[in-house]
Amino acid sequence: MNLQFLMDGLVVGATLALGATGVTLTYANLRFANFAHGEFLSWGAYLSMTLAGLAGSLLGAPLAAREPFSIGVGLLGCALVAAALTGGLALLIDAVLFRRLRERGTAVTAVMASFGVSMALRALLEALYTTRPRYYSQELQIALPLAEGMRATPDQLAVCAVTVLLATGVTLLIGRTAIGRRMRAVAENPSLAAVVGVDVAAVIRATWLLGGALAAVAGVALGLLVQVRPSMGAELLLPMFAAAIVGGIGSVPGALIGGVIVGVAEATTVRFIGAEWRAAVSFALLIAVLLVRPSGLFGRRA
Amino acid sequence: MNLALAVDGLIAGYEPGTPIVAGASVGVAPGEIVAVLGPNGAGKSTLLKAVAGLVPIQSGQVRLGEADLIREPAHRRAALGLGYVPQLENVFAALSVEDNLALAADVGPRAGRHAQLQQALALFPEIGLRRRQLAGRLSGGQRQMLAVARALLGRPRVLLLDEPSAGLSPKIVGELFTRIRAIARGGVGILLVEQNVRAARAIADRVVVLVQGQNRLEGTPAALERDPELAALYIGRATGAGA
Repeated sequence: MNLQFLMDGLVVGATLALGATGVTLTYANLRFANFAHGEFLSWGAYLSMTLAGLAGSLLGAPLAAREPFSIGVGLLGCALVAAALTGGLALLIDAVLFRRLRERGTAVTAVMASFGVSMALRALLEALYTTRPRYYSQELQIALPLAEGMRATPDQLAVCAVTVLLATGVTLLIGRTAIGRRMRAVAENPSLAAVVGVDVAAVIRATWLLGGALAAVAGVALGLLVQVRPSMGAELLLPMFAAAIVGGIGSVPGALIGGVIVGVAEATTVRFIGAEWRAAVSFALLIAVLLVRPSGLFGRRA
Repeated sequence: MNLALAVDGLIAGYEPGTPIVAGASVGVAPGEIVAVLGPNGAGKSTLLKAVAGLVPIQSGQVRLGEADLIREPAHRRAALGLGYVPQLENVFAALSVEDNLALAADVGPRAGRHAQLQQALALFPEIGLRRRQLAGRLSGGQRQMLAVARALLGRPRVLLLDEPSAGLSPKIVGELFTRIRAIARGGVGILLVEQNVRAARAIADRVVVLVQGQNRLEGTPAALERDPELAALYIGRATGAGA
């Protein structure tokens, strides 16, 4: 049997994992499901593209690709700046809207507001860039043969490598550093964290920054592997939430493994049942986990 | 006398217009242990939460030494030297004992952190033995010890302890109170809320009795022991003072 579907699932899972990490951190530390998180992927992808365009204009030539990849160091640099800008966008939205709602209202208010933010951010992208799909590179890539008949393009392998790198970095950040310790403390008990001396507002800002930046990287990865569209992030929202919940809310390794599980489950469904069932997979996984093990694979039981 | 903590005419509560603490005043000198007693619903725990910055204060004064705490958020109050140990959920169960301690140690200046940690662990050696364990796996007594040890790492001038004896065996309460006395001897002012009147009398230098968010009685434990009103407040006998 050709195991190519596993490779495809792994690549999609890597993108989902990066997005789901932001979802799980926001959910755990701010205690609400941010439905605008998908838009951070789209904004990250478009910001990278715009920065690459600006850099190309300044240099007088498009940013060069580095063989065998379809992009080069230039776009990678633009992606890093876009990640910082997307983190800044998340901070700005929190300062203007979510923080006020946190101080006054309940989590439900924030969830509903995030729907509104999502629509506004997407509409803004459509107004600025139209709904026409765009690409970082028009170059065709030859897939390299791997084991068991599986093939992957250099870009796909690069996305997987970047995911592993970032996953390791974020896991170390959360597990081994002072800011990570504070994030875990705020996720468990913000009032106690405050009286211990933790600046909860600063931790929340760090959470937005990190979540937004990771989403932007996921957006660039998705744009590189598929295409850049204003609705690209919104379409990944449910799989990202499924990944975060499968892994256990608040758990970064959980979000990463959850992302891979959802990606591979989607690819397996497409291979054996039919592509029209792909979107149902996230729902099915979400419902199954919530029924059988609501705390997810790595989440703490309530 | 210079007070480590001075609370004056405090009005505080979750909703504006419905104060739970309705004008309470209490002062704690350095090294002094003051116990707040009172019947259920007297506002004792809310008083501590308001001082710690977790319950909105409508009016009154809260000073930690020279510092006015009223406008300071909870984390700044901790940094200024106010330690608070809540009655329930007073440790981070999903964090290791070491991480619980490090959270508080991170707040202060880097210099002296190690010595501070060693000092806290010397006072609570049973915590030091379980540094890598998740705090959620500790017994009730060990959690209380960890919570107090963690509060000490913030280098407090005043410690607020909300019913530290709740749910603990008399033996553990005795051990805990011995450590609390040792902390006070080091110059830290301690304001503790107690339901356990006998325990509070045993440890406190001074007792303040709150009823309906206001000071009702105040004095040394020995003097209050002879006060018929205190007994009446606890056994519900009518005193004419209302409770």
